[in-house]
Amino acid sequence: MEYREEDVLARASTGDRDAFGELYERYAERIFNYVYYRTGNQHDAEDLTARVFQRAMNHIKNYTDRGVPFSAWLYRIAHNLVANWHRDRSRKQEIPIDDLPILPTKGEHPERNLMRSQEQDALLRMIRKLPPERQNLLILKFVEDMSNAEIGKIMGRSEGAVKSLYHRTLLALRDQLDDQHLNLEGE
Amino acid sequence: MKRTSPSPEDIESLETHLSQTLQRVAPPSGMIQRLSGRIQMPTRSEIRLRITDWRRLFVVFGGVMSGMLLLVTLARAFYYLVGRRDAM
Repeated sequence: MEYREEDVLARASTGDRDAFGELYERYAERIFNYVYYRTGNQHDAEDLTARVFQRAMNHIKNYTDRGVPFSAWLYRIAHNLVANWHRDRSRKQEIPIDDLPILPTKGEHPERNLMRSQEQDALLRMIRKLPPERQNLLILKFVEDMSNAEIGKIMGRSEGAVKSLYHRTLLALRDQLDDQHLNLEGE
Repeated sequence: MKRTSPSPEDIESLETHLSQTLQRVAPPSGMIQRLSGRIQMPTRSEIRLRITDWRRLFVVFGGVMSGMLLLVTLARAFYYLVGRRDAM
C-alpha cells in the first residue's frame, strides 16, 4: 500500500520509525546510486548511504517543506557527507579510485555490464575529475533522469542556471576528450 | 587557447555516451535490508507484519469486549428476572 509522501513525512517528523522506514525504502536505492557515482567505491557508498539516512532520521523533525522536496533534502545531506568523505581522503592522501567497480545496471543482465567499454571507463574517469557540482549535475540528470528544474531545487539554483552549467560541463568534457585524443564512436 | 565551439552533433553524441555510461545501478543484494538493520529501522515487510498484527489484536480485543458485554447483559437480565420473582 502506497501512502502519500506528505502523510508519511508528517508521521516521520513526529518520530514514527515505521513512517521513516517507508521513506528509506523509497529513497535508499537512489541515494546509493548518487553516492556510488560520487565516491567510485561500493563499500563507501553503502556506508555513506547508511549515514545519510541516520542523519536524516536524527534531523527529520527540523525538515520543513518550503518548496524543497524531501528528496532534495536527502540529496543535500548526501552531498555534504560525500564532500566530507573526499576531504578526509585528501587529508589522508589516499590514492584516488579512478575506476568505478562494475555493478549491474537496473533491469539488465549482469554480464552485459562486464562489457563496459574503454570509452565508457575513460568518460567515467573524466566525470570524476570534474568539480563536484558538475558531477552532481550529470549524476542527477543521467542516473536519476531529473529535469533541470528538479536539479535546480536540489542544487539551490535556478532552472536557467542549471541549463547553463550543463552546457558548460558538456563543453568542458568535449575539450578534455579532445585533449586526450579520445574519440567517442557512435553506436 | 579558446577552442571553437563543438557542433550540435558532437554534443548529441556526447550526451548519448553519457546516458550509456551513467546508468542507474542495482545495489548489492541485501543492501537495503542490511543498512536498514544498521540504521535500526523496520523494513517494509516488518512494518506490514506489524500492521497486520495490530489488526489481529484489534479483532481479538473487540471480540473479548463484545463477549464480556454479552455476559454482563445476560447476568443483569438473570438478576432482574430472579429479583422480580423473589419480590412477588
